[in-house]
Amino acid sequence: MNLISKDDFNDFVNALIKDESWNVIGVKAKGSKFAFGPLESASELRLDYDVTLLPPKKYFFPQRETLFTYNLAGGFSAKNPAETKPAVIIGVHPYDIVALFHMDEIFRETKSDPYYFKKRESSIIIGVNIQKMSKWNFSTYMGAATVDYGYDLMLTDLGNRYAISVGSKKGGDLLAKYAKNVSGAFARDIQLVGQKKREIFNMAQQKLDFPPELIPEMLKKTYEESGFWEEHSEKCLACGSCVLVCPTCYCFDVKEEMDLSLEQGERIRTWDGCLLEDFAKVASGENFRATRPTRYRHRYFKKGKYLFDKFGFISCVGCGRCSSNCLPDIANPVKLLNDMYRETSVTGAQMAATTPEVNIQTEGNIDYVPKLATIIKKVPMTANETLFELKLDDSTELGHKPGQFVEVSVFGIGEAPISLSSSPTKKESFEICVRKLGNVTTKLHMLQVGDKVGIRGPFGNGFDVNFLKGKNLLFVAGGLGIAPLRSLFNYVLDNRKHFGHVSLLYGCKEPRELLYKEEMMALKHRPDVEYRAAVNWCPDGEAWTGGIGVITTLIPQVSFDPQDVYAVICGPPVMYKYVIGDLKARNVPDDHIIVSLERRMKCGVGKCGHCQINEIYVCKDGPVFNYSKIKGIPEAL
Amino acid sequence: MQKPRVAFFDFAGCEGDQLQVANLEEDILALLGQVDIVTFREVMKEHSDQYDIAFVEGSCTRLLDEDRLKQIRKNAKVVVALGSCAAIGGINCIRNYKDLEEVRRTVYGDQAKLFDTYAARPIDAVVKVDAYVYGCPINKEEFLQVVKSLLLGKKPDIPTYPVCVECKKNENVCAFERGQFCVGPVTRAGCDSCCVNEGTICWGCRGLVDNPNENSHKEVLIKYGLTVDDAIGKFKLYFGWQEAKR
Repeated sequence: MNLISKDDFNDFVNALIKDESWNVIGVKAKGSKFAFGPLESASELRLDYDVTLLPPKKYFFPQRETLFTYNLAGGFSAKNPAETKPAVIIGVHPYDIVALFHMDEIFRETKSDPYYFKKRESSIIIGVNIQKMSKWNFSTYMGAATVDYGYDLMLTDLGNRYAISVGSKKGGDLLAKYAKNVSGAFARDIQLVGQKKREIFNMAQQKLDFPPELIPEMLKKTYEESGFWEEHSEKCLACGSCVLVCPTCYCFDVKEEMDLSLEQGERIRTWDGCLLEDFAKVASGENFRATRPTRYRHRYFKKGKYLFDKFGFISCVGCGRCSSNCLPDIANPVKLLNDMYRETSVTGAQMAATTPEVNIQTEGNIDYVPKLATIIKKVPMTANETLFELKLDDSTELGHKPGQFVEVSVFGIGEAPISLSSSPTKKESFEICVRKLGNVTTKLHMLQVGDKVGIRGPFGNGFDVNFLKGKNLLFVAGGLGIAPLRSLFNYVLDNRKHFGHVSLLYGCKEPRELLYKEEMMALKHRPDVEYRAAVNWCPDGEAWTGGIGVITTLIPQVSFDPQDVYAVICGPPVMYKYVIGDLKARNVPDDHIIVSLERRMKCGVGKCGHCQINEIYVCKDGPVFNYSKIKGIPEAL
Repeated sequence: MQKPRVAFFDFAGCEGDQLQVANLEEDILALLGQVDIVTFREVMKEHSDQYDIAFVEGSCTRLLDEDRLKQIRKNAKVVVALGSCAAIGGINCIRNYKDLEEVRRTVYGDQAKLFDTYAARPIDAVVKVDAYVYGCPINKEEFLQVVKSLLLGKKPDIPTYPVCVECKKNENVCAFERGQFCVGPVTRAGCDSCCVNEGTICWGCRGLVDNPNENSHKEVLIKYGLTVDDAIGKFKLYFGWQEAKR
């Protein structure tokens, strides 16, 4: 531990500012509050602050960030955003340091986010121990009121001087280069720092009535208590303030912006929040978390259960920003959790069983820049659906598995997740069947053969074809659900001898909405496939020889041994429970039912949060699920 | 390809939204690179009835307005409501809370009978509207964003969340923390919280979000010290038409 006088510390900060190779950030007054901002002089620093309006994560994961810029004149060329100067951030409280550690883990998982880490790794964090505590702060309970890691330097105010703990070589080097008159600390100074840190534990005005380790188990017991969540969220304005000021919230939206030339554009990401109304809404209008209580509940579960199960930490550091920003005063986690504790009476004994096994792996970086692909064939299938055949411009194979999806970019408009509809046995190109619904898909329909689109992916798990080999298969497709199923179905047909009995049940609203008409007609002549189709109704004058009725009316029409068949289902959200119900009534075991689910898959890499079903990221863990694994997950079906 | 022909029209309003367009400065040249403006009373003498996109400012305040508005709808492929009065009824709707006879007498005195009127309303109460540029006045950036979206064949990206989202991103000290009263928590964002950024409050000029929790916010206003009447008054300034419909 070192010591520096306050005057010398100010000289140190001013030397950093003068050097100009750093972006020197510090805590400054903003009205009656405080905020991190660029320092012009050390005199602006307010290290005696209680809490800042926004946490310092804004320097690593900004409110608005360019992922890449592009130019459409003469084709498509993408450029990475310009690099910024490394930041020195002065005055970070321990709870915000712990929060950054959480963010690191989240942005590192599966695939690393280069935008975040480029800034994070080049920056220097100069922490300061809490001198005044916000009245909403409960970091002492969350183990985040003091910290022994995650900083490069850590300051403790000792009156006319600061004690400085060096937490990294970077921090030590910075001090050596820019600070003067730094001396070693004596035993009494070290004791004094210890005393100051202990005093922090008496500052909290909030009181959690139980150890936070109980939170995951308490939440688990409360999930189905809809009355509890309705009562607590009744006054929710759905304004998103609680999540936008949170130091561990990381959800984002991806958007497209163009300048007036309509040639130069950029893809950006902006902060988003799961409390906002349209967070889980897809282009068809389906909103998978449409009500305030479910969104309000999701926030608690995300922090206290889902991230805990994955990473082993409760992703709340007790900064109290959500509480202080909630006008109807319903966001205070301490109040809600104390209420929950009283109602659930969870004890420590139940907790031991819930400690998660943490196994986080990371491989490579996320790439947000799409590859170019050319439309080589465009086949209108119905008034609203078109089959596009695409080929990557670099002549590589897409290399997908049946059931996976790609993010398709129409430049100037945006990006949308579309399931792959062709079998990987077709190698030189791939197909997607697209319904005209949102901006991207509508514009895609206006494109012609030879036009370019962007492709990211393939994403998702896809169907486990090796597992399905040798099995009897019952495909059940509703409407556009045939599109992803066709990638597996055609794979099966191309490798027919490796699979057992195969049947396909296909239903849609009316004959004119039938997709892949010719392929379906051809199936009628195949002795090795049992094919049945039904429409909900058939307008007068239209030719239709199949059944009339909902898709479940087809199930009794095909013969299968319930114990010896694997059902593969995809269709509109409303379809699953009826089809699954009928299959279960026929004694098809749960683990013989495989579904492919639709959600708002925005980033495709398990980061942005939009496609989440409880703890599951559909884009990464799905979209294909074994029913036995998700039947207990309330938001799934 | 021929550039789309654009026309501007005004009904009951202050023409401040068109003024924002006229004030686009260098962006106006870039805009003229993409569209032909054929009617714009505030800046040019020429007029044409051949147009693709009609920007309509102002609310409908009398039966007489409807014929003209319907003719504009007929002529245009795309109709865009420009500004609060056209998009949500705007401050003209304050008078809807009063007796219309009294309103006429107040404004026109003994000549009141000569001036027909009815409840002020947004233009989508009369004709189909394809896109909205909210705000009083409109935000220039958002106007350009809507124009670009229309040119690209894209639905404009208009937030469904309230102004608080932008206030938080802009790291504003909450108006309530400053002892002021604000309707940002129920007002549609998209303005980049411009008023609060300047140290004042959100008056609600962009109208209510699609599903506002009005009762909760009125409780907030009262909890922070506003009288019930004043809290209701806060909602009357811009939300009159929307509240009456809810």
